[in-house]
Amino acid sequence: MPDPHTHEQTAMIGIGEYRVGSFPMMTIGLGSCIGLTLYDDSLKIGAMVHIMLPESAGRKDRPGKYADTAVPLLLKELNALGCKNRSLVAKMAGGASMFEYFGANLNIGERNADKIRALLKEHSIRLMKEDVGGKCGRSVTFFPGNNGKVAIRRADGTTGEL
Amino acid sequence: MKLSTVQTDAIQELGNIGAAHAATTLSQMLGSAVEMSVPAIKAIDISELGSYMGEESAAMVAFELQGEIPHGGYIIFYISRESAIRLTNTMLGLTDMNRPMNEMDESALLEVGNIMVSAFLDATAELLGFIMLPSPPSLSIDMAHAAMSSLIAQMGEEIDEVLLFSTELVCEEHKIDSDIIMMPENSTLAHIVELMENMMKGV
Repeated sequence: MPDPHTHEQTAMIGIGEYRVGSFPMMTIGLGSCIGLTLYDDSLKIGAMVHIMLPESAGRKDRPGKYADTAVPLLLKELNALGCKNRSLVAKMAGGASMFEYFGANLNIGERNADKIRALLKEHSIRLMKEDVGGKCGRSVTFFPGNNGKVAIRRADGTTGEL
Repeated sequence: MKLSTVQTDAIQELGNIGAAHAATTLSQMLGSAVEMSVPAIKAIDISELGSYMGEESAAMVAFELQGEIPHGGYIIFYISRESAIRLTNTMLGLTDMNRPMNEMDESALLEVGNIMVSAFLDATAELLGFIMLPSPPSLSIDMAHAAMSSLIAQMGEEIDEVLLFSTELVCEEHKIDSDIIMMPENSTLAHIVELMENMMKGV
């Protein structure tokens, strides 16, 4: 078994996809989409999902695509690995508004963030930090093996950490 | 929706005519020759969008397709950041490649996108007898994936796979590489396909 802290392959998480584990995970080019991470510090495992829209409206085929199906899905997967909801912390990034003029009234980025906040509250998960909104695209890497660190690179060249 | 070979040919022909007109306007604006590729049709699952458009910095001038169908999808003038600087430098008589983009660049890109997309849609309207008008343009200079995924998120009909009709327009002299990408809603696409088929049957 390889050392879990070196040479780990970073899992790329496309729109609507999710992963659970202790390896690094990454979502690139988040616009109005949101990269949500849940992390259990006692077990050093976590999950990341690339959410595109707030509501599934009954669609079941891609649970990771919608906030209202993604959050319960990640909790179910993490609970199955022994994580308790009260020991999980959440972080999220994305939810930007990329184009002025159109889409402004739809405001999908903001609605995604609002929905996720409400769902986390409903499931008693602490939202520890977030970097959402604005007009800038973000790429986000999640390191469950490094205390659940979330590194953010924005399109304007600035970086951040959650 | 799945397209048959005949339908694919028809759409390619439509793209060809639209892009040829757009290429002519670009060529006039730059004062040099512009070559265009054969229009490509790409069906991309949204989870795979990252392998088509990633973190690279690009300027995208996006227009909503309006007209006879109120929300027809999007048409986008796509240009890498590097090519965008070359384009605006050529237009504004500048040479510095390593400068930040400013409001002048933004208005120039909006204007170029507007002219090219209008030419594209004028040509397709004439051919089809079906009017698609561009909305006012909106510009994003950002990670390509971030901009594209945001447009997909606000499509009227929810989709797991996007159909992109793209034609590459290249100006060798100024090393400018750009694309016109059409991303129609399924209903718009069905309508276009029907009109093209009728036309080929001589109806």
